[in-house]
This record gives sequence, C-alpha cells and structure tokens, in this order.
Amino acid sequence: MKDYAITIEGLEKYYGSFKALHGVNLMVKRGEILGFLGPNGSGKTTTIRCILDHIRPQAGIIRVFGINPQSNPRMVHALTGYLPGELRLEDNFRVNQQLRYFSELRGNQLEWSYVEELAERLNLDISRTIKNLSSGNKQKVGIVQALMHKPDLLLLDEPTAGLDPLMQQEVYRLLREAQAGGSTVFFSSHILSEVEVLAERVAIIRNGLIVEESTPNQLTEMAIRRVKIRFMEPIDPILFTTLEGVKLISSRNGLEAIFEVEGDLDRLIKKLSGFPVKDLETASHSLEDIFLKYYQTEPG
Amino acid sequence: MFVELDYTIRRFRGQIIGWGLGLSLFSLLLVSMYSDIKEIDLTAFTDSYPQEMMAFFGESMLEFSTPHGYLDLEFFNFMILIVGIFAVGNGANLIVKDEEEGLLDLVLAYPISRSMFFWGRVMGYVVVLMLILLVSWLSLVLPSGSASLDLSPGELLRPYWGLLGQLLLFGSFALFLSMMVPSSRVASMITSGLLVANYLVQGLSNINQDLEKVVKYTPLQAYQGGYAILGIDTDWLIIIFEGALLFFLLAWWRFLLRDLRVAGEGGWKLRELIPFRKKLSALS
Repeated sequence: MKDYAITIEGLEKYYGSFKALHGVNLMVKRGEILGFLGPNGSGKTTTIRCILDHIRPQAGIIRVFGINPQSNPRMVHALTGYLPGELRLEDNFRVNQQLRYFSELRGNQLEWSYVEELAERLNLDISRTIKNLSSGNKQKVGIVQALMHKPDLLLLDEPTAGLDPLMQQEVYRLLREAQAGGSTVFFSSHILSEVEVLAERVAIIRNGLIVEESTPNQLTEMAIRRVKIRFMEPIDPILFTTLEGVKLISSRNGLEAIFEVEGDLDRLIKKLSGFPVKDLETASHSLEDIFLKYYQTEPG
Repeated sequence: MFVELDYTIRRFRGQIIGWGLGLSLFSLLLVSMYSDIKEIDLTAFTDSYPQEMMAFFGESMLEFSTPHGYLDLEFFNFMILIVGIFAVGNGANLIVKDEEEGLLDLVLAYPISRSMFFWGRVMGYVVVLMLILLVSWLSLVLPSGSASLDLSPGELLRPYWGLLGQLLLFGSFALFLSMMVPSSRVASMITSGLLVANYLVQGLSNINQDLEKVVKYTPLQAYQGGYAILGIDTDWLIIIFEGALLFFLLAWWRFLLRDLRVAGEGGWKLRELIPFRKKLSALS
C-alpha cells in the first residue's frame, strides 16, 4: 500500500436514493500521472470529493498515502493540492489577497517567490481584482493555488478548462515538473489530446464504476479498427467473420467489404493471403474512438 | 481558526463601516434631540394617541421624557428589528452561502478542520456584531454629557448586552437552520419571519390578553430594550446567551456531519423523512 498515493476499494456513494458510485476500485501509484475520464455524471467529481472527505461514502475504503481522509482530513489536505471543476473565488479580493489567504490556511509555510514564479509563467497579474478576471485567468489562479505549496498529490478536475493552447502547454510543463519533483497527479479531463500527451495511465469511469484502467498506448492498441478490402474477384465476406474479433459491417457485390476488427490484424491478413486482394485500407483509431465506445455503451 | 476569524472580519469590513456609520449618525441625532425632548410636556401629545398604539409600545410611551424611556422607544425598540435582520441574514449566510457559491469546496480542501473553520467564522461573526454595537454605543456615550442624557457609559452599555444576546440568539438559530433547510435564503426568510412575528406579538400582547400566554415563551419577552439602563435582568440574559450557544453547537454538529455540495442550493429531501419509505418503495 505504501507504493500507492491513492487506494480506493469498493467505494459506494448514494445521494438520497440515487447510487452515484457502485463500488469504485482504483489504485494510483506514487509519482504517476493518472488521467481520470468519464462522461458527465459518471462519478468523477464524486470520487474526488470522497478522497477529500467533502462527502462521506456509504461503503468502501479510501487511503491517501496510507491516511484515511475521514479520520484525518487535515493531513490529507496538507499533502494535497486541489483544483475544483467549478472554481469559485472571492470576487472582491485581489489575486494576491486570495493567494495570501490560501497561504495562511496552509500556515504561511510556502515560498511566496514560488507563487510569483508560477503566476509569471502563467502570465497572471496577481494585482488584479478577481471579479475583473476572465474565466481563463481565474483558472490560472486555481492552478497556482493548487501548485504553490509543491504538494505530494495533485487532484485536478479539468485543469486546463478555459485556457488557451499556449497556456495549456505551460500547465502540462508545470505538471510534468511537479511529477519530476515527486508529486502524484490525478486529473480528470475531457480533452483527449491532453490525456494522450500527459497521462501515463488512464482510468475510465462510467455509471459509478471503473470500466477500464490502462495506458493510453494499450488503449489505442485495443481499439476496434475499421478495415476496408477491395477484391479482384467477388468473394463471400462471411468467410472472414469466422475469425475471432472480426465483424462484417458492409459488403458490395463481394468486391468490396468493410470489417471491424478488435485487436491486431494478424489473423485477418493471414486469411486474406489466400484471396486476390486488390487494395486494403485501415483507419487508425484515436483515443477518442475508444472513449466514445465506453461513453456510449453499457459497461460489462 | 484565527485565519478564518480575520478573513470573516475582513469580508464584513464594508458592512461594519456602513452599519456602524448609519447607527452612529442615528445615535448622534437622538442624543442631540433629547435635550429638547425632556423640556417638552408630552402629556397632551401622548393623550392624543390611540389607546392601542400606546399599549403597543408599552411603558416607554409614558416615560418618553426619561432617558431610558426615550432610548427604549426611539432606539432599542427598533434596533432589535433593524440590526436583527442584519444578524439573521448574515447568520444564515455565514457558512452555507459560501457553499452555495462554490467557495467552500476549495477552502475546505485546505488543511483546516471543519471545526476550526466553523468556530473561526462564528467568532468573526460575533466580533462583527460587537463592533457594530460598539460604534453605536460610542456614539451615544461620547456626546452624552453635552446632551444631558445623565447616564454613565456603564449604564448606557447595559441595553446593548440584551440587544447582543437577542442578535446572537436569532443569528445562531438562522445559522443552525441554514444547515437544515435547502438554502441560506430559506433559513434567513424563516428566521426573519419569526423575529418580526415575535416583535409584533410582543407589542400586541399589551392589547390582547390572550397573546400574553404565548409571548412569555418567546425570546423577545426577555428583551428589556432601554429599560436595561435601570438594571439588567441577568437571569434572562444568561438564558438568552445559553440559547445562542446551544444553536451554535447544534449548527456545528450538523456542519461536521453533512456532505458538502459543490455549489448551488440543496433540496428539502422530504421523501427521506417519510417513515418506512424503503419498505414502501420495495413493495411498489
């Protein structure tokens, strides 16, 4: 357990009669960057808020660096930097007043020069009043306050929401630097390119249950590919559907057939070698296709 | 806790200045008028008032030319409503408003326990109320010699204890209610309604004898207003402060147990209160 920053076992959470989490199991290794994905209402925020002890689950175990957040939330919070999905700040404060307040809540133990460095890197003017900031600049305040004490664990709900592409890149750099400094990063996102670029591992949650845990590369390899084959003479495409993981989508006069192939293409290509193939096309699948598969279909 | 105390006072800075300034101007006006009021024979004036109105405001109408009667009728009688609404609104908003606005979700992810946070806010709230009343008291005390109120600063302070007790009682009740009902708005509305109703019933009980039976169980029965200048009823005052403490403790207990919302208002959850709900839903 000491190798894990977060351990979640059998987490269940009800809101009244609605069951939001159906027994979530998840392990996040120390020092890794884990992308936490799922459609709206799938339980991402509920899981994060259980980790922070903002809400109490009806069943299950949570440990953050071996600490139970329900019995020692302060210790967990001291080790954590949190960026909520719906960030709200004190509108009448200036950015530096807000950050000073957050610093005071942490016992004034952080280096203010690091706060200024973060603000500078994110091109954030800390003398401005929060109510006059754009949503992107408010998000930068959120990122600074999450990173400013160099936490062991970063819990980030949609960290780059509202940021322009340049700033997104800067945030990725900051998160990688945090990881290099020993931090664990647990972030939720809907930006799939961000997940591909940043995450070492991905967990997909759907209807309150983790339906997939893998690396982005493994997920891509697991993708269902669409293969279009043109034959030199009419061939019955049904012959190929006997292969495991191959499904016929459409055919035209036996001269052209489109298949969906789960996993690698080895079996299909070997079988095709006995037939006069004129042309073969495969569409490379992105993470998006994989996520859509999980987002759209029922789990199990 | 002290970070939150300081933060609460800073947030109320504008209200302290606004309310303090308003109350002090009003106090100064009252004090400056008293020298003229005490010279006038108001018997003919009060005789022209309807009996019901005289009864509503009680003895202070008859003792209008005395310092305690004057301050009771012109100041403390209304202050319980005016500053009371402020206390109730801010009591209801003290914590839950931040939850509704989504601020609490982030602040409570910092290494501050819910208890520290709660009591820091409550202490800040009490200090703010005391500061506003202090400014008002100073405005009465500083020019009192020249205006011939003939009251010592200590005597003038007495009614403020009763007023503070009532403000804390209604404010703490609003805070407790905000933890129970869906929103701070509803908590504020209910508590303000109770305060106004209590005020009216208190006044009307001087006209309608039947209301006297009801009013003796209400908090404002213990409110002496300006008459505390003549002597504080400490037994009642202690009960009122104990009542306020009880509601603060209940609010604290609810705050420790509750799930925090991300933002927005909650629901009534009335279905949860229906007994055997699970059995009924299982049967259906």
